[in-house]
Amino acid sequence: MTQLLQTLINGLLLGGFYAVMVLGFSVFWGVMGVINLAHGEFLMTGAYLAWLLFTSFSIDPFASLLLIMPIMFIVGFIMQKFLLNRLLERPSLATLLATFGISVILANIHKIIYSADPRNVPVSYSGSFELLGLSLPLVKSLIFVVALAIMLGLYLFLQYTRLGKAIRAAAQNKNAAKIVGIDIEQVYAITAGICIALTAAAGAIISPTQAIFPFMGQPFTLKAFTITVLGGLGQIPGALLGGMLLGMAEVMVATYVPGIGTNLGVVISLLVLILVLIFRPQGILTGLKRMPID
Amino acid sequence: MPLLLGLFSVTAACSSKSSEISDKSTDTITIGAAVSDTGKYAREGKDTRQGYDLWQDWVNNEGGGIEVGDRNYKVEIIYYDDEGSPDTTARLVEKLITEDKVDFLLAPYSSGLTKSASAIAEKYDKIMASGGASSDSLFTRGFKNLFSVFTPAQYYTESILKALSTKGAKTIVVAYEDTEFPTNVAEGTEKWAEKYGMEVLAVETYPKDTADLSAITSKFKSLDPDVFIGGGHFNDALLFVRAAKEQNFNPRAMVLTVGASNPKFVEEMGEDSAYIFGPTQWESTMNYQGQYFGTSAEYAQKYQEKWGETPTYQAAGATAAALALHIAIDKADSLDTEAVRQAMKELDEETFFGPINFDETGKNIDKPMGTIQILDNQIQVVVPEEISLAQVNYPVPGWKEREDNDSVASNSN
Repeated sequence: MTQLLQTLINGLLLGGFYAVMVLGFSVFWGVMGVINLAHGEFLMTGAYLAWLLFTSFSIDPFASLLLIMPIMFIVGFIMQKFLLNRLLERPSLATLLATFGISVILANIHKIIYSADPRNVPVSYSGSFELLGLSLPLVKSLIFVVALAIMLGLYLFLQYTRLGKAIRAAAQNKNAAKIVGIDIEQVYAITAGICIALTAAAGAIISPTQAIFPFMGQPFTLKAFTITVLGGLGQIPGALLGGMLLGMAEVMVATYVPGIGTNLGVVISLLVLILVLIFRPQGILTGLKRMPID
Repeated sequence: MPLLLGLFSVTAACSSKSSEISDKSTDTITIGAAVSDTGKYAREGKDTRQGYDLWQDWVNNEGGGIEVGDRNYKVEIIYYDDEGSPDTTARLVEKLITEDKVDFLLAPYSSGLTKSASAIAEKYDKIMASGGASSDSLFTRGFKNLFSVFTPAQYYTESILKALSTKGAKTIVVAYEDTEFPTNVAEGTEKWAEKYGMEVLAVETYPKDTADLSAITSKFKSLDPDVFIGGGHFNDALLFVRAAKEQNFNPRAMVLTVGASNPKFVEEMGEDSAYIFGPTQWESTMNYQGQYFGTSAEYAQKYQEKWGETPTYQAAGATAAALALHIAIDKADSLDTEAVRQAMKELDEETFFGPINFDETGKNIDKPMGTIQILDNQIQVVVPEEISLAQVNYPVPGWKEREDNDSVASNSN
């Protein structure tokens, strides 16, 4: 029983992390129709920034979000405004190539600056607390709470603010949004800024639990792709559900299948992806989607 | 036109090179080495070159050359950059043999590149000495020209398991990445555990690039083993320590196969790296001694003087590999491949790097793997006992105990 509860907790915590990790990727795709192949590299950038702030100025990785998010917002804004906006009217291969190029550049710049040696942020509270015979990892619990807060914040922003509504309108029908006076390019740039800031934030908060190195990004991009398809595009409840499902499945299989569990967990997640694509291609929850123009 | 010019300059360079060599061939032994200067092994490649160069300088100056018959030979190493690519390595080794007409070969850094380089050496029947490869699969191909001074991967955990079993460790769990090197280490581990009377409670594998290992540690926690052996690479080592601490998983000894002996590990992990064990090919604090470079510490000092940095085990291995070749030429009293090969096989020598004694397949069977433990933020050699300065600390305190100790310590301050 304890083992089962512990497994559920581990799955929940991993799921919460997956959910916040995927947000930026999912909204980017949902609103602009761009698959950001540099997603993992922006996550890595956030992790390195947190490491730098921690080792140079002893700033806690959770506190460093206040610095990292504005910086990365500007990075995302500029990337969209001066690069991706120009490519949106081209075939989608153009944005795929552009983001792939950015991912290669980012990874190698970090390798030059920080070398390939793996880093870690050794926060003082990396242990666990015991509750009814269960171990609750402190850092991961904190990541979970922050992840929920970020998701709630983004949800309220998209749902109730003028800018949030503009973003959703742009996602639903670009031309109609233009007609009612929304500056699409500006909205896109702001959306990209938000997405990159969120992704870097996810990287920063997981920095105490991960080995940080320049080439850590790619597996995260792949995972983000899986979760987005699983949960439904550009939708926060979808990201949460997709993340939870994947986290829970991986941890369950890893814990209860002896020997090859961790390997099998990865297989299962891709198997689920294929099944979803066959039987429910719009994702488990229907996400942001383009309205037919006619 | 530029292509033509390029061709000319290459031919010119080659002809000048070969004339130079033929002029000197009466009193120079030429040795070829394709070693990484760029690419993913750039760092280790630099160490390897510096190790080889240290030997070259030492032979030519302090050592006064190598006596073969009644002649005195100087040595000259010809280097090329293999760029970390097995294909380039193969091409360059072929060039060294056919164009530069080297007498002997020194291997590149890494098992992968050595695999490719040694295949060419075998094809042309040239002896290749390696100081940077430990994969077992290098020695199961029936080659007769590759000799490696590193302890092979399957022996990585032998010495530490032996030491822990005498301290009373009875049970063990193993987790490893399912790629070649970690698999070799893990297979060896299961074998040694059985030999030293320990029960293997569970074995787990995980894929490359995994970002979360907490399911494995959580599973192991319920088994409560004495010894945990895990890892494949530096990154996994970090992940395992993080996962063990956050799950409050407390094995009485935690052995991480790669990473722990790297000073960067202590730097990044801080206090959480305490008590962790890790195998190591060589440390300058080991108490080895040989006829040629003196003790391990004296070697390290010589290296420091020449290169301005402390030698890594890759650098020391490179020097030891070149030294093994040197001693074999000395003993054979000949430059003939057959004679030197025979001398390599018969070699049984104590060196600053540890004992060197090659078996039929070319692996060094006499060098025990050392093990370090991180004690007081220092990397201390604890096994084997006869060459170490510190004692094995077993059983190690659990995570919660350490926190309590810390708070007691800070309260009393």
